[in-house]
Amino acid sequence: MMPSLNEYLMVSGLLFAIGFAGVLMRRNIIIIFMCLEMMLSAANLSLVAFWRFGNGQGMPAQGYDAQVLVFFVIAVAAAEVAVGLAIIVALFRARCTVHVEDLNSMKG
Amino acid sequence: MTIIDLIIIIPILAAVAIGCGGSARVLALAAAWANLLLGLVVFVTLVAKGGDEMHFKSSWVLLHSPELTLGFAVDGMSGVLVLLTVIVTFCAVRVSSGDLGKGSGKLYYISLLLIAAGALGAFCATDLFFFYAFHELALIPTFLMIGIYGNGREKVATAWKITIYLGVGSLILLGGLIALYVSLSPPGAPTFDIAKLAPSPGEHPLSAEVQKWIFLPLLVGFGILVSLFPFHSWAAPAYAAAPTPVAMLHAGVLKKFGLYGMLRVAMPLLPEGFEAWKGLLLVLLLGNILYVGLVTISQRYLDRMIGNSSVMHMGYIFLGIACCNSIGWGGAVLMMFAHGISIALLFALCGSLRERLDTLEISRLGGLGGSMPFLAVTFGFAAFASIGLPGFANFASEITIFFAAFKDAGEMGILQVATILALWGVVISAVYMLRAYRSIFQGELIGERYPADLAQSMRLPVVLMIVILLLTGFFPNIILKLLPNLFEVL
Amino acid sequence: MSIAFIILLLPLVAAASILLGIRKKANLSAYVSVASAGICFLLTLGLIRGSGGEAGAFTWLSVGGLELKIALEITGLTRGMILVVTLVGLLVHIFSLGYMRDDAGKARYFAGLSLFMFSMSGIVLADNFAMMFIFWELVGVSSYLLIGHWFQKNSAAEASKKAFLVNRIGDFGFMAGILLLWGATGEIGFSALRETLEVQTFDPSLLNWAMICIFCGAVGKSAQVPLHVWLPDAMEGPTPVSALIHAATMVAAGVFMLTKVTFLIIAAPVAASVIQHVGALTALLAALMATQQSDIKKILAYSTLSQLGYMVMAVGFAGFLHSGEAVGAVASNAGFFHLYTHAFFKALLFLGAGAVIYACHHEQDIWKMGGLIRLMPVTAITFLIGTAALAGLPPLSGFWSKDAVMAVTQNSTPLLIVGAITAFLTAFYMSRLCTIVFFGKARSQAAREAGEVPLMMRAPLVILALGAVIAGFEFAYGWFIAPADLPHPHGALPLVLTIIGVAGIVTGYLLHRGREKDPIRVEVLVRKFYIDEFYLFLVRVFQDGVAYLAKAVDQLLIDGLIVRGSARLTVGVGLLLRGLQGGNLQRHVFLFGVGIVIVIYLITIALG
Repeated sequence: MMPSLNEYLMVSGLLFAIGFAGVLMRRNIIIIFMCLEMMLSAANLSLVAFWRFGNGQGMPAQGYDAQVLVFFVIAVAAAEVAVGLAIIVALFRARCTVHVEDLNSMKG
Repeated sequence: MTIIDLIIIIPILAAVAIGCGGSARVLALAAAWANLLLGLVVFVTLVAKGGDEMHFKSSWVLLHSPELTLGFAVDGMSGVLVLLTVIVTFCAVRVSSGDLGKGSGKLYYISLLLIAAGALGAFCATDLFFFYAFHELALIPTFLMIGIYGNGREKVATAWKITIYLGVGSLILLGGLIALYVSLSPPGAPTFDIAKLAPSPGEHPLSAEVQKWIFLPLLVGFGILVSLFPFHSWAAPAYAAAPTPVAMLHAGVLKKFGLYGMLRVAMPLLPEGFEAWKGLLLVLLLGNILYVGLVTISQRYLDRMIGNSSVMHMGYIFLGIACCNSIGWGGAVLMMFAHGISIALLFALCGSLRERLDTLEISRLGGLGGSMPFLAVTFGFAAFASIGLPGFANFASEITIFFAAFKDAGEMGILQVATILALWGVVISAVYMLRAYRSIFQGELIGERYPADLAQSMRLPVVLMIVILLLTGFFPNIILKLLPNLFEVL
Repeated sequence: MSIAFIILLLPLVAAASILLGIRKKANLSAYVSVASAGICFLLTLGLIRGSGGEAGAFTWLSVGGLELKIALEITGLTRGMILVVTLVGLLVHIFSLGYMRDDAGKARYFAGLSLFMFSMSGIVLADNFAMMFIFWELVGVSSYLLIGHWFQKNSAAEASKKAFLVNRIGDFGFMAGILLLWGATGEIGFSALRETLEVQTFDPSLLNWAMICIFCGAVGKSAQVPLHVWLPDAMEGPTPVSALIHAATMVAAGVFMLTKVTFLIIAAPVAASVIQHVGALTALLAALMATQQSDIKKILAYSTLSQLGYMVMAVGFAGFLHSGEAVGAVASNAGFFHLYTHAFFKALLFLGAGAVIYACHHEQDIWKMGGLIRLMPVTAITFLIGTAALAGLPPLSGFWSKDAVMAVTQNSTPLLIVGAITAFLTAFYMSRLCTIVFFGKARSQAAREAGEVPLMMRAPLVILALGAVIAGFEFAYGWFIAPADLPHPHGALPLVLTIIGVAGIVTGYLLHRGREKDPIRVEVLVRKFYIDEFYLFLVRVFQDGVAYLAKAVDQLLIDGLIVRGSARLTVGVGLLLRGLQGGNLQRHVFLFGVGIVIVIYLITIALG
């Protein structure tokens, strides 16, 4: 049986929730970073899924807007990883830690 | 470029030159001397030409719509205040001593000069925008000076307090001024020019109700700046914490801005607005005279007492303003002048006492007249001037204000009752001044203190101020000649 | 510049030149001051022969329709008063040359005296209320400076402060009265006011209030009950000052001012009644207090109070309705006549007391003196002449003036009785003083070593004694008050008064002859009816208490609750919000997530 939109969305939501939980709970900033990527993937998945069932009768929608958007997100995420990892490295050099609870200089 | 532009720009230029590395004290003194002489020239010219009209006009149009002009001019009232400013600035720069703690005193003298320039600009501006802006220019260095060069442990807290307090006051005032600008500009030609905002006689574009509600923020805003009761609690701590020249300049000159604003802006532009709040103003000024007077009696420290006495005397000036006739307004301006000089004198003397003694607590001092006769005599002059003794300009202004309130008063109205009550302030001020004087300078010496007498460098400014007070006290017409019909003119 | 203006300004010039230039040269300062007083006296002799009237004016202050002038007016009473001021002033200056010879603050002292002469002449010559008020305040200052001459003595410093403050209370009323009058009539000149009052009618209650307020000024300056407390304390000043300021001239300024506004007293009968009764009360209370004092100067001070009470009472009768008509100027002339004679004999008594104090090495307690008549005969005899004049023995000056005053009080029996009792008490306490000081044995070493004072101090005593003898005769006063304008006693009043005076003297002598302390001690009189204590209590409770309360309110309510309160409120809100910004990344993310959920929820609700 072919999975319906609900299944896709379920998987996507699950991915997002796991990612979000990781962001909230993990201490290591690299893991948090990976969880963020996971949340982005969840969003990508639901984008593609909505495209696949997007014409109203369970058939793919017209055009390739969703794919373009997904590629866009992947490209941005890659750039983000490049910048983000560089920041993390710099942060580690400055603070000798990658644990978020030690990074509270924004405290008001 | 007129002489008035020069007077305003000289201190600014001197401040810039100090910033660029010039010798701070020499430049400041030179600017103060130049301004003193120019101020005298302006005053004498005004006496010759009469004070009813604006002289020395200059203007640079900055914007056409809304019309914004950097313009200056002086009439009699501005002329008196300009004279006051240059005299007090001169004395304040002269009494600034070398012991500035850290640095060469660059910031110190720059701030002093900017306060003077701001005050002069505000008193001469013909434009509502610059009238306000110049006052703000003068306030900021005041805060800095208190925070950096002030006295006592609480100087930073006090600097913050008056920053916020006066900031709020200025903000409320700004609201009122904007309302004035919006509602009084001629249709289709928005302008900041005070003269163009003034309604033509007999036909005011605004209803009494509207005037009333625009007048309120002006009254509160100016009131906060002048320490009108109950917005007075910033004044005494600020003056106690401020370095001597700043206390002299602020209490003597800058505080007059609010009163000047009442006479120049609020009252002429919104005559009916004032009528609506007259009763309230009378109650508040009685608060200044009687309530703050009593507060002054129970002060334990000399500097706070003098600060509170300055607050108290503001009540008389408001009383003169509330009389709404030329006598009262003339008396009010004369009192601004007299009070400005006498309070600057008191702060100058209080400052030199502070340098010599380990405390200014009145009850712990005594019998100092023996070891510092010059200071004792000059302080006596200052104290007697402050309590309004004949022979000093303060008396002339007080009596003028009292007579103004009873002008053509066949029966006792609210103004007359308030004046009789305000008369009691004359007794109150004698009580605190003489108590302090008796306790500090007279009686037996307390402790083993033989402090040195007033320094030679301080004597010129102190004597200058006393001479001016006596001169204008013996011949108040010197000042009043410039203000014969102030009420009608405005 | 007229003569009167020179009389007014010359002492000011002297005072200013001492202050500005020559204060380091004490002797020169003294001579400059004495010379100015001497020239003023000579000019006065010229002035009082003149025709009077206006003597020039100077517009002191003019703005918007208000004109305050320094203008001089010379009337009959002015001439009498200016003679008293310059003559007694000159004698006191000369006496001071001896009395203050070795004082460290001699230059300051003489500058003060000159300043006083300037201020007092200003009061006397004033032609309007504003000018009078100006000089009224100035005499207060010069009195302050002179009482506090020895400012390093706590008691002198306190006394000068008290004198100034009490006078300020009076001045408060005076100014209020002037303002009320000005508001109603638009005039402040004496002659202009008199004319206005003749032409127009005004609300009588307003006039009464104005007059009562103006009288407050006289109550302060002339030390009437209830503001009398400063005068006895003012004796802390040097004795010549007490003679000049606190006996002959300044304290009489209140009475002089009242005589100047007689027309107003006539128009304000209620105020007139207040004036009479205040005067009578002062006369009686002060005489009672004088009987139990032991400081020679304080006795004379209370005596001055009591005599001033007489004068005020007499002037008050100007507005007394006698069979439908006010007694009028006759009464105030009687008051002024007493002022005139009193100036001579009271200045004499004070200077005599000064000579005694000087001879006894600054001892003021009469119970440490005694037998001085043998050691300093000139002083003693002139003092006794002054005493006799004060007690009202004929034919000395006090007899005539007291007769005039009592003749006025014959309009009202209770006040007549008060006056008679006071007359008896006056004779009694003066006889007590003389008996103890001049007769009997010396009671201390200082009194045994006393000797006659130098000529410079004796001469003024003799001249004043002469004045005390003759001032009551017509040739000595007729040139400024016509005898017909003085009241004349009915019946046997002069005889009765003489008997009362003699009785008082005899009683005083018999009671105190050879005693070492008062035979009768009345605590309440010694403590001056506890009035000082009562005032101290009032000041403590009301003024200082209220002031303290006001300060507390200021600090707690206005500065604490309102100003700091709003500051605290801002800070508090800030603190609350600060908790949200922990700086913890994950908390921010969580809140962010929660926020998004809430936003989505709200959008869902909004969409239906």
